[in-house]
Amino acid sequence: MRRVNRREFVATTATGLAGILAARTAPALAQAREISYLCWNNFAPASDKKLSEIGQRFSKDTGIKLKIDHISHMGPQQAKYASEVQTQAGHDLVEMRMHFPWLYEPQLADVSDVVAGLEKQYGKAISSSYEGAHVHGVWRAVPQYHGMFVCTYREDLFKKASLKVPDTWEDLYTVGKELKKMGNPVGIPISQNYDSISTAGPVLWSFGGMEVDKDGKTVKINSDGTAQTIEWYKKMFKDCMEPEVLSWSDASNNESIQQGKAGWIHNPVSAYIIAKQRKLVTADGINHHRSLGGPKGRYETDTPRHIGIWKFSKNIEASKEWIKYLLGKKETYDEYIMSGDAFNLPVYTKLTDHPVLRTDPKYAALKGEGVEYHTYGWPAPPSDKVQLITNAYILPNMIAKAVTGTSTKDSIAWAENEMKKVMAG
Amino acid sequence: MAIGTLPAARAHARLPWRTRVREMLDRERVLGPLFITPALILIALLVAYPFCMALYFALSNAFIGRPSHFVGFRNFVNLWDADAFRQTFQNAFVFTGISVAFKLVLGISLALLLNQQLWFKRMIRGAVLLPWVIPTALSTLGWWWMFNSLYSVVNWTGISLGLLDPPGPNWLGQRHYAMAAVVTVNIWRGLPFFAITILAGLVAIPKELYEAAQADGAGPWARFWYVTLPMLKPVLAVVVLFSTIFTFSDFNIVYVLTHGGPINATHLFATYSRMIGLESGRIGEGAAVSLYLFPLLVFVVWAQLRFVRKQAY
Repeated sequence: MRRVNRREFVATTATGLAGILAARTAPALAQAREISYLCWNNFAPASDKKLSEIGQRFSKDTGIKLKIDHISHMGPQQAKYASEVQTQAGHDLVEMRMHFPWLYEPQLADVSDVVAGLEKQYGKAISSSYEGAHVHGVWRAVPQYHGMFVCTYREDLFKKASLKVPDTWEDLYTVGKELKKMGNPVGIPISQNYDSISTAGPVLWSFGGMEVDKDGKTVKINSDGTAQTIEWYKKMFKDCMEPEVLSWSDASNNESIQQGKAGWIHNPVSAYIIAKQRKLVTADGINHHRSLGGPKGRYETDTPRHIGIWKFSKNIEASKEWIKYLLGKKETYDEYIMSGDAFNLPVYTKLTDHPVLRTDPKYAALKGEGVEYHTYGWPAPPSDKVQLITNAYILPNMIAKAVTGTSTKDSIAWAENEMKKVMAG
Repeated sequence: MAIGTLPAARAHARLPWRTRVREMLDRERVLGPLFITPALILIALLVAYPFCMALYFALSNAFIGRPSHFVGFRNFVNLWDADAFRQTFQNAFVFTGISVAFKLVLGISLALLLNQQLWFKRMIRGAVLLPWVIPTALSTLGWWWMFNSLYSVVNWTGISLGLLDPPGPNWLGQRHYAMAAVVTVNIWRGLPFFAITILAGLVAIPKELYEAAQADGAGPWARFWYVTLPMLKPVLAVVVLFSTIFTFSDFNIVYVLTHGGPINATHLFATYSRMIGLESGRIGEGAAVSLYLFPLLVFVVWAQLRFVRKQAY
């Protein structure tokens, strides 16, 4: 073999490096197909384990190395999205929820081809997925699963005190007073988190209120419906809850019912799933019931999740392959959904009556008969502005102000002003 | 031609390159800037560049991932219209004022105590530093557990000792309690910095001054007031200066403990800036929040450094 002298080595590597820098692409040999995926810590932890297991199989089958990173809750997740977009560097794929694809529309790759394939296979995506990820006629993220809010209660305590399972928000006030006397208050967060909005939305809608009108422009928070909502929250806060709800995070209501304190919470089935998995003494006593109604109907929050691919990703095609692998193979998607134990539900119409709903009789309430499901901000059409109103926590802050002494009128006026600023911005 | 007749420069050029480099490095004019350059590069990359970017963002309507336009001081004016920002502004002064005052008084007391002849003096001095050494996010998580309404060991202890009525205060859910909680953790965290720095100042005070004061009949209080405190003034000024800046810009404690809640009652500039800039995507406004106090802090730094220089000469 011919020896390469120092001068030849320097000349060759310099030329090669210049070529790579000019092309801004690594040579084919060095282009290891590697993708990274950022998702949240699922409230059904077994689902994260399953995701990792499927990821390993994907790497083995396709030769594409997949790195999955988890991040807790939504607050840090938003900050992470923002920093990745600003620096144009980070993960290839990101899990998004609600209307986030609207906020990041210019930064997300078009994944309509992937969704078209999935819809052909499983039927159309459900309406909340359309609301969240179908932006101006283009799919900016692929519908992955959704979680539905439901009423979670301590059935054992209700039976012991002969309390009637509530059917309306007013019924909840009646039983809530008794629960608080028993030392098991109602646990509805009124703080800067998403669960607070997930409850405030359905209460507001069921009293006939809304944040923004159907036109997506006119702020309509100043209404009788909102005033009734606030009055309901005020009496609930005083007679059925404890002030701790003002400091709660998304996980606090789950912990409260799991640790035996709260008697009733409004949450997806994750509180029960974790209690069951950790064999907590409260697990057997927890059950779910149908969502509550009000004078103007029975509504519930739907929280769709989607997978988006950043436009700056160098591996858009490999990223799409991972999405197709996870969601496009029926047996793999089923496996993934089953691992979520009814916290993660399928988002395609042919799969909505999924076997996971029959794995435990306590999931019966998830069928949601007679309940209208919507995402945050309804009835306004989805938009970045609606997502910004959500992210600024205006709704829970309005309620928090009211329950801590600000008059109903002033609280609403404050919220109206804040929402108008967002809409004008 | 003989070598000795060559011009000096040409003779120098013929020297081996190692010798030439060594000669260059011997010159202070070359070596000085060479040593400073890495630090300057770091400052330019990690301080100057982000600061200029923040300034640019603060004067624009930058929104995450979208083109931005220059808007002048509009963000600063608009912020003052938002009551959440005005609340944050007030919180920052309350939080910093109370925290720094407590840290100063307790720091002097602790330093005086540590300056005494104690058993296990070194171990105690080491232990005092612990809150300063542990990563803030981790230690604050511990405090969060102590203040959490469901698990609060503070309330449990208070109730068990008969000092509190059940269920005890809702530390993180009521505005004044929440502020008390974040201030407490900040004092706990910052106290070692005060104590150890003041202790260093105490050790440096000449013993003769105390002996002379004692000979003149000064008691412990008079010795403290007329000897210790005046001698400590430059150290105290520097410690208060640093602590004021660090406390104003605190982030971890509030973020982990209350997230700025309840109803923005504990938001500081850093946490509010994060919420506006990163969680809501309004980078321009977020940057304006973080720069709002910059002129005031520059003035504080200038005034205190001036005071320190006066004390020194």
